[in-house]
Amino acid sequence: MIKFDKFTLDNGLRFIVHRDETTPLAAVNILYNIGAKDEDPDKTGFAHLFEHLMFGGSVNIPIYDEPLQRVGGDNNAWTNNDVTNYYLTVPKENLETAFWLESDRMLSLAFSEKSLEVQKNVVIEEFKQRYFNQPYGDVWLHLRPLAYKKHPYQWPTIGKSIEHIKTTSLDDVKEFFFHHYAPNNAIVVVSGNVETNEVKALAQKWFAPIEKRKISKKVIPQEPAQNEFRSLHLERNVPFDAIYMAFHMGKRTDEDFYIIDLISDILSNGQSSRIFQSLIKEQNLFSSIDAYLTGDFDPGLFLVTGKLSEGVNMEVAEQAIWTELDKMRESKVSEYELQKVKNKIESSLVFSEISYLNKAMNLATNELWGDANTINTEVLQYRKVNIDDILTESAKLFRKENCSTLYYHSKK
Amino acid sequence: MDQILRNIAPDFKTIDAIDILPSQKQLLSNNIPIHIINGGSQDVLKIEFIFDAGIWQQNSPLVASMANSMLNEGTINYTASEIAEKFDFFGAFIGFSTGKHDASISLYTLTKYIKDTLEITEDIIKNSRFPEKEFRTILLNKKQKFQINHQKTNVLAKNKFNKLIYGPNHPYANCYDIEEFDKIDLKVVKEFYHKYYTPNNCKIIIAGKVDQQILNQLEALFGIEKWPLQKENCIPEFKIQPSKEKKAFVMVKDAVQSSIRIGRSLFNKTHKDYAAMQLLNLVLGGYFGSRLMQNIREDKGYTYGISSFIISHLNAGHFAIVTEVGKDVCADAIKEIFYEIKKLREELVPEEELNLVKNYISGEMLRNLDSPFSLSESLKGNLQFGFDNSYYQNFISELKQVNPEQINKLAIKYLQEEDLSLIVSGSENSISYNS
Repeated sequence: MIKFDKFTLDNGLRFIVHRDETTPLAAVNILYNIGAKDEDPDKTGFAHLFEHLMFGGSVNIPIYDEPLQRVGGDNNAWTNNDVTNYYLTVPKENLETAFWLESDRMLSLAFSEKSLEVQKNVVIEEFKQRYFNQPYGDVWLHLRPLAYKKHPYQWPTIGKSIEHIKTTSLDDVKEFFFHHYAPNNAIVVVSGNVETNEVKALAQKWFAPIEKRKISKKVIPQEPAQNEFRSLHLERNVPFDAIYMAFHMGKRTDEDFYIIDLISDILSNGQSSRIFQSLIKEQNLFSSIDAYLTGDFDPGLFLVTGKLSEGVNMEVAEQAIWTELDKMRESKVSEYELQKVKNKIESSLVFSEISYLNKAMNLATNELWGDANTINTEVLQYRKVNIDDILTESAKLFRKENCSTLYYHSKK
Repeated sequence: MDQILRNIAPDFKTIDAIDILPSQKQLLSNNIPIHIINGGSQDVLKIEFIFDAGIWQQNSPLVASMANSMLNEGTINYTASEIAEKFDFFGAFIGFSTGKHDASISLYTLTKYIKDTLEITEDIIKNSRFPEKEFRTILLNKKQKFQINHQKTNVLAKNKFNKLIYGPNHPYANCYDIEEFDKIDLKVVKEFYHKYYTPNNCKIIIAGKVDQQILNQLEALFGIEKWPLQKENCIPEFKIQPSKEKKAFVMVKDAVQSSIRIGRSLFNKTHKDYAAMQLLNLVLGGYFGSRLMQNIREDKGYTYGISSFIISHLNAGHFAIVTEVGKDVCADAIKEIFYEIKKLREELVPEEELNLVKNYISGEMLRNLDSPFSLSESLKGNLQFGFDNSYYQNFISELKQVNPEQINKLAIKYLQEEDLSLIVSGSENSISYNS
């Protein structure tokens, strides 16, 4: 059970405070409700590039990192298709430094031409490092547009191409900031060795003076149901073939998310899971294989991805995966098997509550989905799932016409 | 309300001492030391069994890591899949890792299931059977991972660097060819297991919510009654044979970035200069605000990241700077790296910058030492040097004393350009640069 307090400032900024006195530190996590799916199709990668610019100095503070490091703090951020999340940790005595820094960059940025030029290059190198200089690195650049034809999930957070990053202008940056970065479009979670009263006072002092802004929310085109099998073959300089199968599923906040999450666990969570035992250990068809969900805010994907063992034929490997998926939709799992994956979920929830920073991020995300307290009730959603749910959802999910498969061939 | 001054930083406190949850040491009846870190908010436990069964102890490549991985692959009582079922059913996680001097088995479990999960852990530690089919599967999958990794420029640069610093056959280099996967013999791996996974060679760290009942169970399963001492092993000796060659290029066709690795062999954390050297490392490349990061990423945009670090092995150590840069700017990046090193040799680090890194590293230590699990990780590293986590109290007070002159002296002593090795791995040879 994670206890927390909640309050909202007049400008719409929501605060959640969670006290964990086992640490001498405090975490401040700020979630902005803006991600890559909000981008213009001709200017992709922008939300992520923008995240980099948030470290390039704010209106009253020329450098973000240095003052934080001086008080023993550390920070980072990430962007995905739905949101942008900034987080930092400081010794609890120095919490005010965090409020000072974060409120100033919510107020306004320095908007420096130099910072934009440099961060474009940094992001281009990040693009190369993650997507082009790694074996199998470019998979998501191809799998997303295969699975999504209308929805902006068709491009990765880093962007469709390096070209899009190169053409960003400072005007784009300013417009983006004032339409998306605002107290009424963010959630702040403070966790660790903190008191709610102290946080309230700091929030009032540093964040309350920031004015509410008009948020531009464009209508995001939703993905029509897929009704035919899609495939793509790529040939790359990698040592082994690989296969990536993507099935459309619902939103993170749908009730059946929990059922589908358990389906993925039955298939591949832990060494006793079905595809690990069958496809790696018994049949030696794959050297690694995984089934997981993207957990996106809009309807997301269920993925099965694997690297084939040397000498295994692609059709044989693919068929073996389908055999396992067909079993899921044709016959009921046992009560024992369902109990096992529920136990694993409960255990991982307990372990995830060790870190005050982790709790801060989860509270923020749950609040954005509607209610931070979902963090405490989710376990009940998992417990409720029965074997018929698993069968029904599997049947909906694992249909050939709902599948996009990327065949990644080794150039031999 | 008073006008707030947004351009002035609020007051702050520096960290002068860290409150570290201490560990207690007890012995089982066969003298296995148990280090107990009792605390945390959740009813969870991590129990790590550490054996002197690392790369240093093996006679040929892959033996130590295969022995460690095979523990999960079947015992005289259970098959691999039965073991997996049991751990998964209790929502437990069992992890295996092989280091330079040790190998370990870590059990993460809810406290309420400790009895069952510890019994399976006992079985895999004491009764592993090393079946042939599982051995082939694990080996093949490791081989595929090896082949994929050896396409990466950073892996190739690291291997080449380690060979130059330690010599190609030294355990700290841990480099081997792909043929080794076909040469390794199951019999040798099994012998290694019987020789090194013994009570004489074992220590235990237990972290989380610990009570007497759990300690009693450890005694019952791992004490003298059920696990008698065995004969002592002699530890092999290895000499470091650094190469005279200081520059190397590793070709990776079509790579769009080059990996750079610059560094040298160095002392380990028992050396008197270690604390000061850590500060020097921080200033140069040890955190986001470091000089290398500011110059090469935040000013020039050559890279997504650059960092430097000190690796402290039991019998030696090294210092390295690593980055991945666009191939067209590789020579320029190398030039800038050497420029920053030269500046440390020729100019004093400003007091303000030195104070900043002292505060930053104190904060880092708070972050790294704030939970029983993270403390157990640090303790494992310290134990091999004969320290416990109180080491950090001395370290932090030593840090406070370091002045800019000391940093400068260390830079002059240890960071001369001709003493540094330079490796580039990529599609273009950029090791000849104009300084």
